[in-house]
Formats: sequence, C-alpha cells, structure tokens
Amino acid sequence: MYYIGLVFEYLKNYMKTRLTYRADFWVEVISDLLMQASNLIFIFVVFGHTDSLGGWSESEVVFVYGFYMVPFGLFSCFVNLWNFSDRYIVKGEMDRILTRPAYNLFQIFLENIDPPGLLGSVIGILIMVVSGSQLDLDFTWWFIPVLILFTICAAMIYTGIYITLTSLSFYSDSPTGIIPLMYNIQNYGRYPVTIYNRAIQFLLTWILPFAFVGVYPASLFLGRDEMLHMAWLTPLMAVIFLTIGIVSWNVGVKKYRGAGS
Amino acid sequence: MKAIEVEHLSKTFKVQKNRDGLKGALRDLFSRQYNEVAAVNDISFSIPAGEICGYIGENGAGKSTTIKMLTGILVPTSGKLNVGGYVPHEEREKFVRNIGVVFGQRSQLWWDIGVIESFGLLRKVYGVPEHDYKKRLDELVQRLDLGELLNRPVRKLSLGQRMRCELVAALLHNPSIVFLDEPTIGLDIIVKTEIREFLKDMNRDHGTTILLTTHDLQDIEALCSRVIMLDEGRIIYDGGLDTLKSRWGQGTRVTFQFGTACPLPRLQTLTSDLPVSWTAENDLHAEVLVPGELNVSDVLARVVGQTDIAITDIKITETTTDEIVRQIYRTGSAVNGSKGEGGLTSYA
Amino acid sequence: MLSAYTDFIRIRFLTMLAYRVNYYSGILIYMLNIGVYYFTWQAIYGGRGEIGGFTASQMTTYIAVSWMARAFYFNNLDREIANDIRDGSIAIQFIRPYNYLFVKMMQGFGEGLFRFSLFMIPGMLLALLLFPVRLPSDPIAWIGFLVMLFFSFLINSQLNILTGLMAFFVENNEGIMRMKRVIVDLFSGLVIPISLFPVWLGTIMQWLPFQAITYLPGSVFTGRTQGTGILDVFGIQVAWFVGLLIPIFLMWRAARKRLFVQGG
Repeated sequence: MYYIGLVFEYLKNYMKTRLTYRADFWVEVISDLLMQASNLIFIFVVFGHTDSLGGWSESEVVFVYGFYMVPFGLFSCFVNLWNFSDRYIVKGEMDRILTRPAYNLFQIFLENIDPPGLLGSVIGILIMVVSGSQLDLDFTWWFIPVLILFTICAAMIYTGIYITLTSLSFYSDSPTGIIPLMYNIQNYGRYPVTIYNRAIQFLLTWILPFAFVGVYPASLFLGRDEMLHMAWLTPLMAVIFLTIGIVSWNVGVKKYRGAGS
Repeated sequence: MKAIEVEHLSKTFKVQKNRDGLKGALRDLFSRQYNEVAAVNDISFSIPAGEICGYIGENGAGKSTTIKMLTGILVPTSGKLNVGGYVPHEEREKFVRNIGVVFGQRSQLWWDIGVIESFGLLRKVYGVPEHDYKKRLDELVQRLDLGELLNRPVRKLSLGQRMRCELVAALLHNPSIVFLDEPTIGLDIIVKTEIREFLKDMNRDHGTTILLTTHDLQDIEALCSRVIMLDEGRIIYDGGLDTLKSRWGQGTRVTFQFGTACPLPRLQTLTSDLPVSWTAENDLHAEVLVPGELNVSDVLARVVGQTDIAITDIKITETTTDEIVRQIYRTGSAVNGSKGEGGLTSYA
Repeated sequence: MLSAYTDFIRIRFLTMLAYRVNYYSGILIYMLNIGVYYFTWQAIYGGRGEIGGFTASQMTTYIAVSWMARAFYFNNLDREIANDIRDGSIAIQFIRPYNYLFVKMMQGFGEGLFRFSLFMIPGMLLALLLFPVRLPSDPIAWIGFLVMLFFSFLINSQLNILTGLMAFFVENNEGIMRMKRVIVDLFSGLVIPISLFPVWLGTIMQWLPFQAITYLPGSVFTGRTQGTGILDVFGIQVAWFVGLLIPIFLMWRAARKRLFVQGG
C-alpha cells in the first residue's frame, strides 16, 4: 500500500515536471515511435525478399513483434536504468536514495518513471490485433488473462536482466557501454529463435533470456505447438531472473563506495 | 542515553593502481593492481542524545566516509556501530526514518518543480501523517522564513534559499538525529548565522542530536560543545572546544610598539621568571606569547611599569580556533597532545 | 597548439583503456550481433542464390565487416556534447583557447584509434574464425576500404556533433539522440544493406548521408564495388563530409549567439 501510494506521488511530480517542458515531451514520444517503426521496417524489408523466416510467415513475425512491444512498453515506463551509473554513482545521488526509508531500487525506478513508454504497449496491442486478424486467429477468452500474465512476466525478465547488468556499476568500471548494446540483443528475442544455431538459441533462452519476452510467449497465441512448453516456462523464468536481479542489486548496494570523499 | 556509538570502526577502499603510459594502460587491461586505502581507520567515539558535535578535519581526512557509514550509505569494513538503536546498514529503511541528512553539496529537492511538491513527496516517503506534517511544515517555514519561496522551483532559488529548503526537507519527519555534511558551504555570512541559530534552537527545543562536518570553524564555535578532529582516518582529538583551545591554544599574543629602541634581551630579563616567549622584528616592535594559564596583566605590568620604555601601542590578540586547528593540521597527528605542545615549545 | 590537440587523442585513448568491463563485454556483444544477423540472413536466404545483388557469402562478409566498422566509427560525442550543454560546462569551453568542436573531434579520434586497434582488428580476427567471412584479395579493395572507413568515422562523428548541439535548442534531446542512433543503424545499411530496401526507400537513401557510413565502404570490402567505382563511392563520402560542415558551422554559430545572449 505504501509503495502504491508512492507510485502516484511520483507520477504526480512527473506530470508537473513534464508540464514545464511540453515541447520536449512530444519530441520524445515521436522519437520513441520512430524507433519502433524502424524495427518494423526491418521485418517488412526482409519479407520483401522471402515468404518465410524459418517457417514463420510475415504476419506471424509481425504478431510476435506486436507482442514484444507490450511488455517492453511496460518495462520502459517503470524501469529506466540508462543513466543510472552516471547519475547515481558518478554524481552521487545514490547517497540521497540510501538515506530515505523506501527500498532503494524502487525509489530509483520511481524517480525515472516514464509513462510515454506505455504508448508502445498500446501500439503493440494494435499490431497484434491487425496481424492476428490477417492470420485469422481465433480470439478466445483466455487470450486476455494470459496476455496480462505474460506481459507482466516478460517485464519481470527485462527488469531482472537489466538490474543485474546495472548492478555491475557498483563494483568497478561503469558498464554504461553494455546497456545500449544489450538493447540490440534484446531485439533478437522477437524472431523465431529456431533460426539461430544452438549456441545462440541457448544464450537467448537461458542466459539472456530475451526469447521469453518475445517469441516464446507469443507463440502460444499463434498456436505454434513446438514452442508451447517454452511459453509456459515464462512465469518460472520471470521469477528466477527477477530474483537474480534483485539479489545481485542488493549485494551491489553493499559494495557501494559513495561518490567523492 | 547514547545517540551514536562507534567502536573500532574502519573503512578501507580498494583503489585501482594505474600504471603509467600507454604500455602501462595496456597491461592494466589484462591484469590490474589495487591498493588498499584506509579512509577511516579504527575510530571509536560515542555521542549522547541531545549533543551537538562538530566533526572536523582536512579534505580527505575521512569525515564524509564516517558520516556515510553512520547514515547507512556505506557498509563498514569492520567495527561496530549503533545509531539511534539501529545498525544503520543492516536495517537501513527502518533506521533512516529517525534521522535527517543534509549534504551541503547536493540537493535532495526536485529541480524543476515547486519546493512544496518535493516536501509533499517526502511526506509520503517518510509516511508522516497529514496533521503532523502541516504543523511541522508551518513551524519550519515560519522559523526559516520561507513563506513565498514554497512555490518556486528549486532551480530558481539562491543558494541560501535552497539550503534553508534542504534543511526543511531533511527535518520534516522530525528526526531525532541529524547529520549535516558541510551545511554552510558557500553561503554568505547572514545565511550562515541564520542557519546556526536555527540549529541551536532545534537542538534546544526538540533535543535533537546533531553531528556536523564543516570547514568553517565559526560553525563549530557557534554550535558545538564538542569536537572530534580527524586526520588520515584517525581521531586526533575528541573533547570540548574549550579544552581544545586551552590545550593547543598558544595563549594570548601581546604586541608592543615602542617609541624608542627597546632591545629584546631587555624585555626577556624583565619577564625572566615567567614562562613567556618574546620575539622581535626590530628594536621598536616586539611580541610576547602568554600561555593560557598566565594572566596577561601580570606580563603587562612588568613592561608597562618601566619608565625607560616608551610604549606607543599595545595590541592583545587571542589565538583563534582557526589558528589552533591550522597548527594541528600542520603538525600532523596530535594524538596525545605531545606533538601539539612540541609546536608550542619550538616557539620559545 | 597542434600538440595540445594530439594530447586530447592520447588522453581519450588511455581513458578508453581504463574501462575493462566495457572492453571485454563489447567484443563479446559485437560477436553476438554478427552471429545473430548471420543466422537470420542464413534463414532468409534458405536455398536462394541472390538477394538484392548479394550472394549469401557476400552477405556474411558484409555483416561481419559492417559490424566491425561500427565498432570503429561508433562514439558518444552526441551524448558528451549534450551533457556539456545541459550542465553548463560548455560555457567554460568557450573561454578556452581552442575550438570546442575540434577538441571533441580529436577525442572522438582517440576513441576511434582505440576502437580500431583493440576492438575492430581483434574482433575481425575472431569473426574470421567463427563465421565464413571472405576477405578481399585485391589490395585496392583493402586500401579503398580503409580510407573510406576513416571517412565513415568522420561523417558519423559529424552527425553526432549535430545531434549533440541540438541540446542548445531543446531542453532535453535524449529522444533525438536515441532516434539518431536507430536511424544511423538502420539507414546506414548496418542491419539491412541499402540495395534490399524497396525501390522508393532506396532512392531516398541515396540522397541521405547515412549510406556513406556503412553501406558504401561495405560494398567496397565485399567486392561489389570495384575499380573506378571505388572512386565514385569515395566521392560521395567526401561530398557528404564537406557538405555536413555547413550545418555544423551554422548551428555552432547559432549556439554561440544563444549562449551569449541568454547566458546558457
């Protein structure tokens, strides 16, 4: 209850801050949308030259992409660790966070809350609807609760992976260079992972499990039976990776050295 | 009751050794060497509730590191500590409800929106009931004269205004222990005085324990009954300000200006039975250093009473805390005072 | 004066060396990127002989060399400049006896040197081991590629400078910077060679500077552009390099004016 109250309080302040810089707000929204569009362009260009990608049709791949956008929107709304190392470690704002009586990671999430990210989720759902109707998918009642479940689980996986990586900045070098690159890798989870060789499949499934934020859970709605068991593993992976993330974060905080002398 | 108890507290940092030049940097890429640096080295002290204690030392002496351990930000390498009944880094979130922290160099307020919004947020974060919050805020706003500033965004405040707002932000939840890390840094003399007055009142009215670090010894003189002095991670002095002065103070300095020549040996013979030391730039100007335990008038009487000495001017100056501290810093550690006194005797 | 500028190169080179985690993870992740795109294209090719004028084997080489080129030309000058502007330290740069943008360019070059010698070359060797990459046998292709690679760096840095300077005119150019990164990756031909774009998009791309960053040098390296064709595509690069100096100059002038009039 306390934490939910805080979410609203921080959102309120976010809105107030945003209202002071209205023009930038739209620049950011538009740039986010363009970024999504550029990803779709890749899919369209590729399918301009082929009919299937590892046995998946264009509409299926677009559907997976649509699904992929939904948890990513949720994640980018609530978890923004892009500037963590610079802002909280180098500039020392972590000191302030640690002297406040709420869980430090949660405070950091809230201070960087970014509601426009949710727009991506909305567009993702639209894409799913459009490509789903092209595929003549039978819409059944369980789609909605399962979509909600998988969205939350996938967002947990993202969160787990990114906080694990970000917690490295408590140790030595700033890993600022890794996170943008990771952004490239997460994109690969939205293509049918079966096209990759075993090593990369293994990596995207068990080490950086980005296949669980895209193709595995989405395959359930597409009725692709070969990935069915993987789809249902999503909640388990979510719990495991979020736990790893939080544990490594908490260990990292203990190693925090503070900024300056 | 003790508000803060620290026993054998140490904090060491691993510092990466950078090898010189391109070749060194390339080697660092594959194997790295570290140095251990003790920022805080086996310190012990305790502060009773309701005390204002000054924590001083040169840059890099370990002040901030100590404060950060006491506030739960850093985990100590070894040693025991207890602040307000908690081990700070172990139960951080519960513990910090009882403390207030101000870092003079860093803001804890939202940059772009009105100060009052930040206060509102902090109220929620600290879970302060609406009624208590209103009362407390009114009290603080009135005391620090913030009335019309509340709706201004932080970026539009002057440093003095900002610092007063920072204090409110740190005190809204009525903490029983307050840590101030250089609270007066960069402020003008009027704001400094205001803040000191405010802290003194708060300590008196609410019995708040205050630990502050500062480079401005005026802060210490105005506020603290007790000082802890740190050098290279060790405590070199812990005690009252008065004791510090009497122990390391070089007493009183009396400067004479003579109308006619008065050689140094003559002055020395006049006070030969007193433990004072004379210095002179020339025959028309001399200085005598009178230790604290001696009466200045006794020394003056010896000189002024002489008919053959024409005095045109006398100036009496007390050694300031600044001078004392500078002296201690310069002579390095002064754990048992022997070195500090060594500094003194070299004067003779 | 010149030695002061070369010092910026040296210092940046050494700074880059200091970040070990970034270094090792960087190499790993570049390999992963090459790997993923390699397999994606394998799947797209299936049994097909040629797509957009690329044979499957040319595509493999193109992917590897494009990603390794990116490992060289990539830098964060946009972010660095935007940070300088936002925290106000740019004002100090104006009173220093050097040209700020030139210094940034030198720092970028220092980073580039590091990336070339410690990212790109070891990465390329690793890629040779892991994937069926074919190196050109024609020395002209090598020389052409290396010269053009340097211009890739110049043009990419110019775009970064332009994006960074935007921070003078909008309060927060984070979005613009992110957008630029995506656009450069996509439209430079890094993820898809330009010749695979639909005709209309490909035509637009021919009039934009992005192809000069990855696609043109990549074509030379894979042997799709040969002989005097190399001079033609190099000409395009040079033209963009010169052409981009104009908006930078104009923007810098406007920025100075803004800084002096409004005090940052």
